[in-house]
Amino acid sequence: MDSGLILRMPWNDDGENEAPPNHKETPMRFMMLMIPLGYETAPPKIDLDPERVAAMMKYNQALKDAGVLIALDGLHPPSAGARVSFATGKPVVTDGPFTESKEVLGGYWMINVASRAEAIEWAKQCPASENEIIEIRQVQEMSDFSEEVQKAAAGFEDMQQGWGKALR
Amino acid sequence: MRFMVIVKASRDSEAGVMPSTELLAAMGRFNEEMVKAGVMQAGEGLHPTTKGARVRYGNGQPSVSHGPFALSNDLIAGFWLIETNSLDEAIDWMKRAPFEDGEIEIRQVFSAEDFGEALTPELREQEERLRAEVATR
Repeated sequence: MDSGLILRMPWNDDGENEAPPNHKETPMRFMMLMIPLGYETAPPKIDLDPERVAAMMKYNQALKDAGVLIALDGLHPPSAGARVSFATGKPVVTDGPFTESKEVLGGYWMINVASRAEAIEWAKQCPASENEIIEIRQVQEMSDFSEEVQKAAAGFEDMQQGWGKALR
Repeated sequence: MRFMVIVKASRDSEAGVMPSTELLAAMGRFNEEMVKAGVMQAGEGLHPTTKGARVRYGNGQPSVSHGPFALSNDLIAGFWLIETNSLDEAIDWMKRAPFEDGEIEIRQVFSAEDFGEALTPELREQEERLRAEVATR
């Protein structure tokens, strides 16, 4: 990623903050996992606050304008979902909501940045509310694995052409 | 309808233990089948939470904590994005996933139609433009 990326980051606009540390030349993909506390008990149909949607769209646009955004999605509440468990050797299906859950996923952004610190800085800019947590996780790349694993997984990157490759 | 299939973390995934070559090969065949059927849009694995972080909001300043995070059934190890005609169809696909244990969660992805009036025509246009632009990158 070119250094221009850092300069265009919104938190550098006021000149108060330095560029994030550990800046590397190799881009890394990170998932920013949005965890809205309480979403585990939300009804299947939820109403959204237009003001919050507008604020999030502004943030999404900033990610996009900085060349950081790869993909983003929101997820319907777990009460509209299902789980498949493989613990007994045979798949067992359970319909949501899942009563034992304390934290569930509400949505995600996949971003392309130079370091974990940079991903954290982006997460800090998110117009999230008090009941929300963003978990930052690095996406595994083929080059992270041993030769044997890469061989066994050959063709996986091609399978993602409809999405992964086009966005990389 | 688009669904996110969330693969739950396990002791092994959190410890960075890689799946066996046999399992990887079986997973490759499963993925190939989904791709051929036009079902699979994306699939990724995530590094363990040791290499991750969390940002919590509220009280003005976001606070950052670094991984690892306590293993629970809520932690995530990877995901697929798939497109099927119904939740049942998504479940049927995932029943065939070559897992020996563990659990996956299937969640429907929001589409613009789901947002109703909160997504004004201007916001909707912005959203569509944004998606189109990231897709061609």
